[in-house]
Amino acid sequence: MMKFSKTMKALGLTAAVALAPLMASGAQAAGTLTTAVAIDPASWDPIDTFLVDWSSAANNIYDGLTARGADMKLKPALATSWEFQDDGKRIRFKLRENVKFHNGEPFNAQAVKFTFDRLLGEEGKKGPQQSNYNSIERVEVVDANTVDFIMKQPDPVLLTKLAGYGAMIVPPKYVQEKGDDYFNTHPVGTGPFKFVEYNPKVNLVLEANPDHWGGAPKLDKLVFRFISEANTQVAELQAGRIDVATLIPFGLAPTIEKSQNLTLMSVTGPTVVSLRFNTKDGITKDANVRKALIMGVDRDAIIKAVLLGHAKPIASFQSELSFGNDPALKPLPFDLAKAKQMLQAAKVPAGAPVRIDFRGNDATFREVAQATAGYLQALGLKPALQPHEPPVLLNDIIPNGKTGEAWHQAWGGWTFDYDNNAYLMYHSGEKWNPYYNDAKLNEMLEKQRLVYDTKEREKILQEIARYVADQALELPLYNQNTLFGVNKRVKDFDAPADRRFRYTATSVE
Amino acid sequence: MAAAQAVSTSRSRFRSLELLLGILFAGGISLAVLLSPILFPDGGEGMDLMARLIPPFQDLNHLLGTDPLGRDVLARVVVGGRISLVVGILSVLGAVLLGTLVGLIAGYYRGITEMLLMRFVDIQLALPFILVAIMFLAIFGAGLDKVILVMIATQWVHYARVVRGSVLALREREFILSARAIGVGNGRIIFTHVLPNVLGPIVILMTLNVANNILLESSLTFLGLGVDPLIPSWGGMLADGRTYLQTAWWVSVFPGLAIMFTVLGLNLLGDWLRDYLDPTGQTSK
Repeated sequence: MMKFSKTMKALGLTAAVALAPLMASGAQAAGTLTTAVAIDPASWDPIDTFLVDWSSAANNIYDGLTARGADMKLKPALATSWEFQDDGKRIRFKLRENVKFHNGEPFNAQAVKFTFDRLLGEEGKKGPQQSNYNSIERVEVVDANTVDFIMKQPDPVLLTKLAGYGAMIVPPKYVQEKGDDYFNTHPVGTGPFKFVEYNPKVNLVLEANPDHWGGAPKLDKLVFRFISEANTQVAELQAGRIDVATLIPFGLAPTIEKSQNLTLMSVTGPTVVSLRFNTKDGITKDANVRKALIMGVDRDAIIKAVLLGHAKPIASFQSELSFGNDPALKPLPFDLAKAKQMLQAAKVPAGAPVRIDFRGNDATFREVAQATAGYLQALGLKPALQPHEPPVLLNDIIPNGKTGEAWHQAWGGWTFDYDNNAYLMYHSGEKWNPYYNDAKLNEMLEKQRLVYDTKEREKILQEIARYVADQALELPLYNQNTLFGVNKRVKDFDAPADRRFRYTATSVE
Repeated sequence: MAAAQAVSTSRSRFRSLELLLGILFAGGISLAVLLSPILFPDGGEGMDLMARLIPPFQDLNHLLGTDPLGRDVLARVVVGGRISLVVGILSVLGAVLLGTLVGLIAGYYRGITEMLLMRFVDIQLALPFILVAIMFLAIFGAGLDKVILVMIATQWVHYARVVRGSVLALREREFILSARAIGVGNGRIIFTHVLPNVLGPIVILMTLNVANNILLESSLTFLGLGVDPLIPSWGGMLADGRTYLQTAWWVSVFPGLAIMFTVLGLNLLGDWLRDYLDPTGQTSK
């Protein structure tokens, strides 16, 4: 009997939790904006995560020393100005004055030092963010409103990295008093919205912070709901139970476009997709064969037909927003006849196998892969598609060099800097580069990491891109747009390419 | 008396309707699939990105429309049946061979052999199929052969259980006892006297399992764990069409119907077969 009543209670609770979001969102309250994101990050501590979905919400709770708006331009935030000293070994930041955390704690140089001591120390070691900030030796307090960053090595991307993720400033007293576990689920920052409640796997609720240094936000309340199924997000959007959907399959884009109360926003995003080649075994060992394969696939037709135009052709593994992108570098043209000729010249037999390994759960790429395979068939080759469970592909097949002739690589670094993509993809010994080892390429990749001069660094990065294209290390497919489905009642919505929303100017009708 | 007879004739009429529909659905689809190399020599692989998502019944060349890559849905449904039927039949045959052998040995010899074998069966029955399947395919990679293997590895236990149960009853029957008494060897008793008598339940279980495995293959391929997406298969087509349900229903509805009618047909046949072979459920006459 005891057991029975316990079960009933548990059931009741479950039902209450399950129904809560339904009841709460039946009608959209005025001044409340609801956003659907795919994954619940489980911890709201900046040093615990690298999920974009974390940033979609937490970018409203926290501020960094710098900030990057929807236009992808860097601007001052908690730091009002900065200057490079001692040949860039020391960066001095002037901090914004009279800023308070949501719990009333003052923001000052101590808070900055605490944040980075924590990120670079034992606490940060447990999370995935520390490695992004390892170029920082330590932070020194100069006075209450000035800090110095002492650099271990130059880091040209540092100012961008200070605008998000691990570098978000956290309140020292609150974190020390309440402990890490409590902070994970009760975040406090200096941002335009304050934490209200967090229901794991269900939602995160924030309310406006009228005292924000950038002015009070127009909205009263933000709700972030965790919905992992793309079709469910679209259905909820159509039903008016969410205002912004972040997971839109390309196939469903026309449905949203046609809908009277919805807008589809398609913005250039960081995600680039390519077929990387196995340069060690199979027919792809030969650079000329690799070039023939690139020329044999009509990437423009794939973008038009499969991605419905929500993508752009690329010549290197980066988006056009990326630092290091060279508009003068053009992709190899689609030329079936020439590709066939090149294959013949390279003595590739008809029916030579080309196996493509890809993530089995990616519905869009599943179609792209089939279309690509169709073109390879037209070249007289015998393509095969091998779907994998994502963890198997990412942790075994690629790093251990067990791929077929080609594999699916999608990448979207939020810093929009080609260094992030190129170093990890082409430097020998990196997880994502199981086959290729080229001393010249390694040297260029290492060199640009030490250069602060933006012009010079950009030049090296462009050289790297050209070198990679010359060697045809990959078949660059496309830079895929970030799609948002937005209810028309939302006004002044800035669609950020990196999906890091900042709802300060946004309002709802 | 007369009333009872009327009931039994209407039942038997229903039985023959089952048989008829079963043959019509399962047989019709199997026939089309068998003829597919003649009907659709290109194997449903012809791609035309400019002719994508043509609705059904508008273009004579694409009677059931085209999919997002401009491939003919009708050709792919018919050709796709090959995979489903191959997987369904091979996996069941494999499981039957293995399961029957284990069941016969366990049921006939009893003792410690039976204990060990049947506890192993119990353990395996306690593991959820989808968990085993996903682990297996994650370790060994996806592919047609692996899908068949994982089905055999998880389903032979059902046959082992059924066979062992029947053998337990059979081995105490007079004809077995007398065979043993006149000195017939164990192997001979098992294969010539016991085996034919347990075939009935196995055949029924087989028809139902073929249907079940066609569904499983579809779900595994749908989850991206099954066969190469380049090879047309019903589950793969469902996966391809999922995001188009609102805009282009035909991409997934037609393979869905093909699965439904095949499975329905096989289930009807299985039902009919059960009544036909079951001596205790005298429905006709």
